[in-house]
Amino acid sequence: MPDQKAPAVDVRNLSKHYGDFVALHDVNVTIAAGEYFVLLGPSGGGKTTLLRTIGGFHKPTKGEILLNGRSVGHLPPDKRPTTMVFQAYALFPHMTVTQNVGYGLKVAGLPKDKVSEKVDYALEQVGLSQFTHRKPHELSGGQQQRVQLARAIVLDRDILLLDEPLAALDAQLRKDMCLELKHLQEKVGITFVHVTHNQEEAMTVADRIALIANGNLVECGNARDIYRAPEKAFTASFVGENNMLSGKVSAVNGTSVIVDVAGSKLTVDKRGLAVNEGQEVKLSIRSECVALDLVNGTHAPSDGISITGSFDESVYLGLTTSHLVRLPDGTEMVSRVIADVDDSLPEAGAPIRLTWKSSDIRLHVD
Amino acid sequence: MNDYENILLHRLKWTYLLLVVLTLMTPVIYVMYISFNANGFGANEYAFTLEFYGLIFSDELLIGALRWTLMLAVVVTLIAIPMALLAAKYYKAADNKLFPVFLLLAPLFVPPDILGSALLVFFKNLNLTFVWLGDQLGMSLFDSWFRLSFLTATIGLIIYTIPYSFVVILITMGRYHPEQTEAARACGANGWRAFWDIEFPQIRAGVFSACAFTVILVFNEYTRTSLLKGGFDTFTTVLISQMLNTGMSGQSYAMSALVSFVAIAAIGSIIIFTMLRAETLSRVARAKAEPVMS
Repeated sequence: MPDQKAPAVDVRNLSKHYGDFVALHDVNVTIAAGEYFVLLGPSGGGKTTLLRTIGGFHKPTKGEILLNGRSVGHLPPDKRPTTMVFQAYALFPHMTVTQNVGYGLKVAGLPKDKVSEKVDYALEQVGLSQFTHRKPHELSGGQQQRVQLARAIVLDRDILLLDEPLAALDAQLRKDMCLELKHLQEKVGITFVHVTHNQEEAMTVADRIALIANGNLVECGNARDIYRAPEKAFTASFVGENNMLSGKVSAVNGTSVIVDVAGSKLTVDKRGLAVNEGQEVKLSIRSECVALDLVNGTHAPSDGISITGSFDESVYLGLTTSHLVRLPDGTEMVSRVIADVDDSLPEAGAPIRLTWKSSDIRLHVD
Repeated sequence: MNDYENILLHRLKWTYLLLVVLTLMTPVIYVMYISFNANGFGANEYAFTLEFYGLIFSDELLIGALRWTLMLAVVVTLIAIPMALLAAKYYKAADNKLFPVFLLLAPLFVPPDILGSALLVFFKNLNLTFVWLGDQLGMSLFDSWFRLSFLTATIGLIIYTIPYSFVVILITMGRYHPEQTEAARACGANGWRAFWDIEFPQIRAGVFSACAFTVILVFNEYTRTSLLKGGFDTFTTVLISQMLNTGMSGQSYAMSALVSFVAIAAIGSIIIFTMLRAETLSRVARAKAEPVMS
């Protein structure tokens, strides 16, 4: 009997080793019932291993997994309250769409008329009612993934695991499917745990995001916080387009610190972090928060919220344009603006100042 | 043929292919030809007859030989194919593939005479050991376990056919995506159900081909069967004994031709059925292929 108050997924001190290789290291994460949770991270970081361990396809080396409050470490995939959508190749090619979607119900021993009724409803949910008699190879990539979704939701399981479900789709289809996934999750109300390395996909669908890299859970929070206020330097470097600056703390003044970066003294909120004078730290600032100051490029900045460098080049990216500036220590900074390339831009190598609001720059000690 | 290919070269390739097939099939066709000659092999005059085909079923030696070989073929197939299938499944899941493939294919690299003789010596010694064991225990229960028999021939033929079956099944299995088994498990199927419902239908062609191949290998095998079965009473051993001693009888030619007819008809039917099915499926797919929205 599932515990109604318990989280849908509770991962405790989970480690997974393959010989000497540590795929997951002491991971702790809790996912509430009905939540759309995304495991985001670079390839090879351990997010798929975590998902597959939750699904019962890998046995943990150490730690525990509780689903709806019940320890499931000893249970195979077919005995867990989960089902899964795979990246590709997971539809049964010798079965029609109807047979694929109804397979789990057939295994569960439901009567034929009940199977038919539930399959029709599930296919309606994913907009594939007119393709019931097609074989998987007669469907497009997006349709195939929808069949996988229908096959999963028809089982009425509490938790749906999605392993890079949109990775094999083209960019436009991926965007459309992201929204469809989000709406579907809201409609069916079950817990979705979605693995992706695509941050835009993660931002679109997630209630909360966990960033996983090198087998560690780096940071966990809602999508807005992960993007706008990353705690860790790795999060800042992976999510969004952040300028990462290395520097040394030259002074600690109550709630702020002064950090020497490429000859400029930058003022940064301490955020309650324990920092000492002389400590090496990282600073992050999103590229869209950085503005070019063409006029004051030669003046040494002393306001704590700007830095000088030499203009490198502009890259037109359609919606935005990125201006690349080289700092005296060789670090490259990017200022991204919603505008076409301006003809009045300085020559390459011209001195330039970059400025931002004091609330936009963040201090990281790890 | 592609648009840039020379028509003469294209015809030359086909002629070459037909010549190869003809060269391979000529001895079989010649046996069939002799089987209809009332005057038998080497006669100056050819007189068509079906008499030898009628005599086959009254030739107890031939029918007995066919029965033994069929029994060997069925038993060997029933044991070797599941073993080869399990081995192929293990091989696909194994991290280190070199060692299992070496173990499974090693019997292929031992000449049949040597492997047959080695098994003969092994079974003789094993039999002596079992007889000794029986003597020590004061019973004759173990005396005939490893005397040359149907059992020893079966073991020898299983060792012989497993590598071939393994390779044939593995080739078909190569196209199977294991994600489908995981998807079936995620749908609630246990391991066996996932295999039977999802994997087996997709590797069935390979399994059945391996069965056909095993039957053909058992029919074809002389060395191991003659060394390990004892009695020279299987299909190939009878035919070869006849050929070496008294020359093949008319009904032996007829039996050989009949087996060849049946084999060619069976394989031909499978090919024609497969081609017709592929054509039907492709016609259905073309009919369904109206533009679809993503």
